[in-house]
Amino acid sequence: MLYLELFIQGIVQGSIYGLIALGLTLVYGLLRILHVAHAALFTLGGYIGVIVTNFTGSFALAMFVAMIVVGVIGMAVYKFAYEPILHRPPYIALIASIALFIASEEIYRIVFGPFGLSYINPPLQGQIEIFSGFRLKHGEILVMVIAVVMLSALAWLSANTRTGVAWRATVTDPEMAAAFGIKIQNVRYLNFFIASALAAVAGVLVALLNNLVEPTMGSVPSYKALAIIVLGGLGSIRGTLVAALALGVIEAYGTIYLGKILDRDALAFAFLIIVLMVRPQGLLGEK
Amino acid sequence: MTPVLQIENVTVRFGGVTAVHDVSLTINVGELVGFIGPNGAGKTTLMRVITGIVKPQQGRVLLEGRDLARKSIDARVGAGLALAQQIVQPLHDMSMLDNVALSCGSRKTGRVITAMLHTNREPERDKARGLLEKVGLGNVVDAMPATLPLGYLKRLEVARAMALEPKLLLLDEPLAGLNQAEAAGLADLILGLNKAGQTILLIEHNLREVLRICPTLYVQDNGVPLAFGEAGEVMKNPDVRSAYLGGHA
Amino acid sequence: MAYEITLATTMAISVLFALSLNFISGFCGQISLGHAAFLGTGAYASATLTKASVPFLLTLPASAVIAGFFGFLIGLASLRVRHDFLAITTMGVGFLFVGVVRKQDFLGGELGMAGIPSPDMSREMFMVFCIFLAAVFAVFSLYIRRSWMGFVFDSIADNEDVTRILGIDASRFKLAAFVIGTAGAGIAGALYAHHFRYIGPDSFGFVQSVSVLAMVIVGGIGSVWGVAFAAAILSVLPLLVQFVDDYKLLLYSALLFAMMRFAPDGIAGIVRRSAARFRRATP
Repeated sequence: MLYLELFIQGIVQGSIYGLIALGLTLVYGLLRILHVAHAALFTLGGYIGVIVTNFTGSFALAMFVAMIVVGVIGMAVYKFAYEPILHRPPYIALIASIALFIASEEIYRIVFGPFGLSYINPPLQGQIEIFSGFRLKHGEILVMVIAVVMLSALAWLSANTRTGVAWRATVTDPEMAAAFGIKIQNVRYLNFFIASALAAVAGVLVALLNNLVEPTMGSVPSYKALAIIVLGGLGSIRGTLVAALALGVIEAYGTIYLGKILDRDALAFAFLIIVLMVRPQGLLGEK
Repeated sequence: MTPVLQIENVTVRFGGVTAVHDVSLTINVGELVGFIGPNGAGKTTLMRVITGIVKPQQGRVLLEGRDLARKSIDARVGAGLALAQQIVQPLHDMSMLDNVALSCGSRKTGRVITAMLHTNREPERDKARGLLEKVGLGNVVDAMPATLPLGYLKRLEVARAMALEPKLLLLDEPLAGLNQAEAAGLADLILGLNKAGQTILLIEHNLREVLRICPTLYVQDNGVPLAFGEAGEVMKNPDVRSAYLGGHA
Repeated sequence: MAYEITLATTMAISVLFALSLNFISGFCGQISLGHAAFLGTGAYASATLTKASVPFLLTLPASAVIAGFFGFLIGLASLRVRHDFLAITTMGVGFLFVGVVRKQDFLGGELGMAGIPSPDMSREMFMVFCIFLAAVFAVFSLYIRRSWMGFVFDSIADNEDVTRILGIDASRFKLAAFVIGTAGAGIAGALYAHHFRYIGPDSFGFVQSVSVLAMVIVGGIGSVWGVAFAAAILSVLPLLVQFVDDYKLLLYSALLFAMMRFAPDGIAGIVRRSAARFRRATP
């Protein structure tokens, strides 16, 4: 029974990783930037979620507001931080992104205080007994449902709408897409909006599961998400999801069996390093 | 006749596509061989087999009788191969002179410890000045590459390759992207290098210049060797004519 | 006086640490986001040894060798991956280092190692010794810049593929850069451990790796003088100004971001450009 419990906890954690890492994959696929600051948007989503829920009492509204606000801020990050340095070597954007991320954490600490915020009346705390002795919180079920819904919606949209087609065309070949009259700039904005909105969803959900948002809540996910997108083969949406779920599950077991020699959070990097050494282009990636 | 480069029965397949099919080719000391073929002929692939970027499924490449298999590009260069690339890649943060001087210093850069113990760059710079002079860049030795037009950088590629004192100079489409006058000038330079004793394999699209300077031609189409020999004879070959004129009809 | 001595010692150790990263990232162009792991390797190695009654001075070469050995392994990684992938690989190494150290009881685990013996010299002498080592590494760096090794490093930082086409075995040079740079960090770590006399896993985490990279980049990546200057200022500013100490990370990260966004060649680049403008303006 322990195995199954660990497995399901791993899937819940993996769903969250997936929501965060997917945004990173979208950004990497389009701009070849390792967007570490993405996790700062994830944290911001958490703060907005808690604050709006506490003010209005509506968790759904909080989720919506978080997505919109964080999505717009994500577009601003692209416009003001990345666009001017796109022509420089890739490590410049990476370091800028890390700097932006750390600065954001400091700003959250100054603005919202170092100890974090909690829900006054945490929603969705009820539990369901899945089978004897094993319970899941409503929140945990919501995490999995939302992850599945969001990600399938995204997959459907990218395959079946004009915008989705434009997006995929731009990822494959920006110059060709531009020649067909696709406005690359708009695609990039949209890309950042969706990526950041997904991060906000993840932030709200994590704040719900832990009933806490704190300035540093993005630290671990930010770097772990990098590991995930590399493991997933960079720019591959399916690969990212597989890697995210796999990592969630592996960590859940690893904490039990490897806890003596290795920190839980270092596990992802052990995998990352091994994979990069064996296959420098990632697990499912081509090239 | 001493062979410098021997390509023996080389075949390269990518997935189901055969990019190069059973190619054999020998280049002897002092020769200038023009390697031509229409688009998609597999020129680039064969070239990459020589430099080691592509591994052939069959066959082997010998330089002065030594098998190059499993040698990295820098080891191949060390063995006597030098390459002037089609897409020019100057080192942007150093002057034209230092671009060539670094290439002249292979005795000092061969081992890490030697490189660490030597500081004097003057002998190599002197030699580099001479080489730049020779390729017609004597007036821009101190310029930074980014400030110069393509024609200059193509010549820089040649000078850098010559600095290695190679047994075989591989020129990958050196004339591509140049106007007619520039191309003719560079072709003359290549001919001059050959006259001075340099063995050269010239991969080129510009048929007019190749026919003008190359005594020997090798033609490949769809990865298949069509003809190899004296230029006039090769151009009379019906297969070559149909490959160039009649498409693949 | 004691306070000034502490400041100068801290400054010298930071300069040495930053110059050691400059060797790898500045000279050879291999961006490392896990350099604090090598500071940590040196610190833990040296502290473990002096606690076992090995004389402090003998632990310095040992720290250099151990850190350099791990640096060699990371150097091997740099032969497989490049650019931003190397950056995240080295970042992973940094996390791995902290993750492993945390769980090792003989290294003090989460709590770290306290009560590290003081070096067998007076505080003034130790300060002079730290400054001396930093100066030696600076002179060595300046020499390497001028040598053929530096010439090859310039070329690798610029374009590794071209370097190989010029017949140079770039791999060996990259390995050499990693070994020398990480050995330097190992020595800095030994000094660090015996200066603060307490070390813990969090002393060598990602934040420290980013901070030292900030010093290198703010100073001007590759410039020995620029990096030494930036490291000296950025290391003691938080100690001198309380306000800066409270917002140290914000300051570092904002500076780093501003540099990447507006002047990726750092202070050295800004100085170089204004000097050129000045020369043009005064015929």
